[in-house]
Amino acid sequence: MVLLENDSFLTELTRLFQKCRTSGSVAITLKKYDGRTKPVPRKGQQESYEPADNKCLLRASDGKKKISTVVSTKEVIKFQMAYSNLLRAHMDGLKKKDKKSKSKKTKATQ
Amino acid sequence: MPYYQTWEEFARAAEKLYLTAPMKVRVVLKYRHCDGNLRIKVTDDAVCLQYKTDQAQDVKKIEKLHGKLMRLMVSKESGAMETD
Repeated sequence: MVLLENDSFLTELTRLFQKCRTSGSVAITLKKYDGRTKPVPRKGQQESYEPADNKCLLRASDGKKKISTVVSTKEVIKFQMAYSNLLRAHMDGLKKKDKKSKSKKTKATQ
Repeated sequence: MPYYQTWEEFARAAEKLYLTAPMKVRVVLKYRHCDGNLRIKVTDDAVCLQYKTDQAQDVKKIEKLHGKLMRLMVSKESGAMETD
């Protein structure tokens, strides 16, 4: 799992989308992150980390390559704008509803 | 695993689930360009809410919900709802 800076993550995510245009899927996961860098100890309350409340973890994968990044409050506005544009630009293979309803019947793979 | 039929129900349930368990809930987006569909899942590992679509109009809705949840996660929540 590669942890990247926000900008590098967006670049790599673009590449993932481009790679998967002919086959495969892009999976993106979003989760609130409290900043812990060590696994939770089994016994004893060794809470050596300070729980941070203002971060989230974003992961992306195409099944083979995995990338991730941490976004905090300061970066979220800029990141979210770039990220939304990215999603909207790449998720363009879906059917558009037009009145004449020229929907192609996609072959259902079973 | 139930797939919601309407976006509104899914969005409401997803936000509600996140607000009840912000640390546990994760959002998963899966996009397949070759099949032309998009799925979104919101789960706290006990309850699982899913929505799938092949419509371009839903991309914007999904991306907006995703952004909204992202902003909720990075904001310091003292209270659940942002009033004012």
